[in-house]
Amino acid sequence: MRIDWKHIDIKDFAAIVIEALRKNGMDALLVGGACISIYTNNKYVSSDLDIVSHATMKEISKALAEIGFKKKSSRHFVKTGCPFFIEFVSPPAALGNEPIKSRNEMTTKYGKIVLLTPTDSVKDRLAAYYHWNDSQSLEQALMVAEAQIIDLDEVQRWSRREGFKEKFDNFVNGLHGEKT
Amino acid sequence: MLEGLFGNIIIEKIFFFLATYKEGYPLGMAKTFGVPVNRIQQQLKRLEDSGIVVSRLVGKVRLYTLNPRYPFLKELDALIAKAYQFIPLTEKDKFYRRRTRPRRAGKPQ
Repeated sequence: MRIDWKHIDIKDFAAIVIEALRKNGMDALLVGGACISIYTNNKYVSSDLDIVSHATMKEISKALAEIGFKKKSSRHFVKTGCPFFIEFVSPPAALGNEPIKSRNEMTTKYGKIVLLTPTDSVKDRLAAYYHWNDSQSLEQALMVAEAQIIDLDEVQRWSRREGFKEKFDNFVNGLHGEKT
Repeated sequence: MLEGLFGNIIIEKIFFFLATYKEGYPLGMAKTFGVPVNRIQQQLKRLEDSGIVVSRLVGKVRLYTLNPRYPFLKELDALIAKAYQFIPLTEKDKFYRRRTRPRRAGKPQ
């Protein structure tokens, strides 16, 4: 299948990359901003794919070379003409103190994407808001919560366990349309 | 002390430094320990690639902190705190008891 790298959608791009890794026997979980783009139908636009994999960088480099990506720095891969870059986040896949237990799967014409669930995507963004006061991350968490069905009780349980009850309340106020 | 576990003495020093002062920049750490700055930078990069520390630019200085989102932070903190108890007092005075309260600009040294 011919790929228009210049105009590729991030969802298709994620599928191509994850398939390339899977074909070579590597696990890959999509996390971070690309999940937000996918869940909000590009209301938020991410410029990269953050992937957690337990494969070595040597194995990853070999697999990504098959689709034309080259290692740019220790954990980043780029391809001339492709607007997105790929970053490999050091494992384990975690949300604060807890390991990620469930994964979502989506099928595209280029293959399957394995990514955070909408609820875990919200937690992922909230973690950045909780620890670094990053208001953009709070906005992204709100976007996902508005566009997808999420388990708010689970987000509340996790937030309390992480020690951020008050900031969770700000998130809930945002969901109810109050200015955060 | 934890050199065998971490693979080198610089990592141990970086951890004690960040646990004590909460943040630091490569040149400041290098001056504190009297080691070349590139050795500190090399190990900070390794720790950042592994998600153990994070950095941000403040003006022209890159400030490093332990990553609050690192899943084993609590356990790492506990290990560093325990190991810190075994550091000789002279070493604590030399490296880990620097003045951290504000000092007004222009005040004579």
